Amino acid sequence: MARRDLDVFFNPSSVAIVGASPKRGKVGHVILANFVRGFRGKVFAVNPKYKEILGVPCYPRVTDIPEPVDLAVIAVRAHAVPEIVADCVKKGVKGIVIISGGFSEIGPEGAELERKIIETVKGTGIRIIGPNCLGVYNAYTGVDTFFLPEGRMKRPPAGPIAIISQSGAFAAALLDWAAQEGIGISKVVSYGNKIDVDDVDLIEYFGEDPDIKVITIYIEGIKPGRGRLFIDAAKKVIKEKAIIVLKGGKTKSGTAAAASHTAALSSDYAVFSAAMRQAGILEATSFEDMFDMAVALAKQPPARGPNVAVITNAGGLGVLAADALESLGLKLPRLSPESVAELRDKMPPYVSLRNPIDLVGDATDERYSDALDVVLRDPNVDMAIVIALLQVPGVTLRLADVIASKAREYGKPVLAVTVGGKFVEIFIENLEDAGIPTYTTPERAARAAWALYKYGMIKRGEQP
Amino acid sequence: MTRVLPLHESLKLLERYGIPVAEYALAKTADEAVEAANRIGYPVVLKLVSPTITHKTDVGGVVVGLKSPDEVKQAYNKIIDNVKKLRPDAVIKGILVQKQVEKGIEVIVGGIRDDVFGAAVMFGLGGVFVEVLRDVSFRIPPFSVNDALEMMQEIKGYKLLKGFRNIPPADLNALANIIVKVGEIMINEKEIKELDINPIIALPRGAVAVDARAVVKD
Repeated sequence: MARRDLDVFFNPSSVAIVGASPKRGKVGHVILANFVRGFRGKVFAVNPKYKEILGVPCYPRVTDIPEPVDLAVIAVRAHAVPEIVADCVKKGVKGIVIISGGFSEIGPEGAELERKIIETVKGTGIRIIGPNCLGVYNAYTGVDTFFLPEGRMKRPPAGPIAIISQSGAFAAALLDWAAQEGIGISKVVSYGNKIDVDDVDLIEYFGEDPDIKVITIYIEGIKPGRGRLFIDAAKKVIKEKAIIVLKGGKTKSGTAAAASHTAALSSDYAVFSAAMRQAGILEATSFEDMFDMAVALAKQPPARGPNVAVITNAGGLGVLAADALESLGLKLPRLSPESVAELRDKMPPYVSLRNPIDLVGDATDERYSDALDVVLRDPNVDMAIVIALLQVPGVTLRLADVIASKAREYGKPVLAVTVGGKFVEIFIENLEDAGIPTYTTPERAARAAWALYKYGMIKRGEQP
Repeated sequence: MTRVLPLHESLKLLERYGIPVAEYALAKTADEAVEAANRIGYPVVLKLVSPTITHKTDVGGVVVGLKSPDEVKQAYNKIIDNVKKLRPDAVIKGILVQKQVEKGIEVIVGGIRDDVFGAAVMFGLGGVFVEVLRDVSFRIPPFSVNDALEMMQEIKGYKLLKGFRNIPPADLNALANIIVKVGEIMINEKEIKELDINPIIALPRGAVAVDARAVVKD
């Protein structure tokens, strides 16, 4: 089933910013400025006090706009929102993003306003995102309702990761951070109180989006009764796209005064977590973990199995990687006899041919290249983690291209680990640009490897 | 408000869904108990059935390992005496005579209602594993036998089910079938709020429910 009904939020022809303002620092100013700067379609401002803002024509009401309006973005006080929504219905808009706060999150008075809004759009087919949210960001069309000025929150480059967030602040921090790290993000939705559009809708919609390879979700709670649909929506998508979820609010425990063991032993989070596993969704343990996994899944193919070869020029980091991999249920296989013979032939005698393969401190780009050839060809190996410390003289920045070209040649996932200062930052950039996810600790790389392994199983239908 | 279904009704519910239950009969007199035991075959267990007593072991309401008509008669009278002494106001529906199942691994399978997911099914090993270690896993019904098999692998005690030292491996498929059927119960029987099947005895071949508690909406 095509979910064209959400297109209006990501690819509207025309947008009205209700509550637009010429005053810097105002929410209505930042949002209008975002659209003026990056949006390719038509932009209208709505505010009875002005005739024009930032060169955009301004009208007293939505109904005064002389041309059709696809999307309305509302950033005015909560109590004024229901009336504006009624105007939007009259005008025939297709989607509304309500940025304003002051709804059910503050109490029954706010909840009543939400009820009014839902009542107003009933039967019109209009979809609503929000209220109490940052709204929508689409790197490809310039839709950007995030009321954080460019100077405060950088926008990342367009890329294969989508973000769905119940928390606006979380979404904003993620975007800023992704921009800093150069991680490509295509679409972001912060849906706040989700009186209409929710996770289930967005998973279905993003599931059909060819720009997206990985869907990341920060969620505090699924709406009552929507859980089964959430699982079903995810199950339909996960063969094509990986989904990673980070759950906020895990501590709420089960009913203390339960009459049964089962009720006493269950908690909302235990049930949630089981549901995620059942749906084939990967669960992240932190913000950083979520993106470590997302970047790996966006840039590398899923792994065929749990067997990881570790190649390193720093023995200690190799051991730490092995520990981390094994604690996650991954394996460090022995290399095949052919591989061992080949390595013995190519490597100096002091190189350890047991996995993790320690190329030692005088390793060169060529030695890495030879080792990668042997290891990635080995049928016992499903993926590789390359640890390269650049503080030694033998390896150069060119190693990034060596690693990337070997990864492409053999079609098996390859991740990198490196640590250091300014010089190493260039190396990391080269690696990331060449499509090799790079981490600053072996533990983080191990989690990314785990995600590639798990997602491989999910994709092949081995789990769930 | 909720109430707990009497034991024999909970067991009947399991049987309706094809979950194997250790053979049982409800007796209202000592003679009926003996008759039932003769029919079922020894050894048997006697269990108090009372809507007003939630923990039947606390009042001496369970006697196990009964091997003859005499022992059954004595145990019957002893349970009635125990209850009259400890809880004179208790309502006694009768006493359940049940086939005593051979030794196996005790597991618990249960169901709860969840606001978000509708229902959830829980699996765990019996005794200290659930009560102290909270070593349990969950699934949202409906799910497949494969899901149920995975669910068993998720608990730390899974090794025991696979066979450990002198403990023979349990029939995992028989357990998985029971777990799936508990999912069906939770989906179809909307009035059930909570369900415990505790314990189920997992055997090298098959698995048998011996005790159950369904909490229903009144």
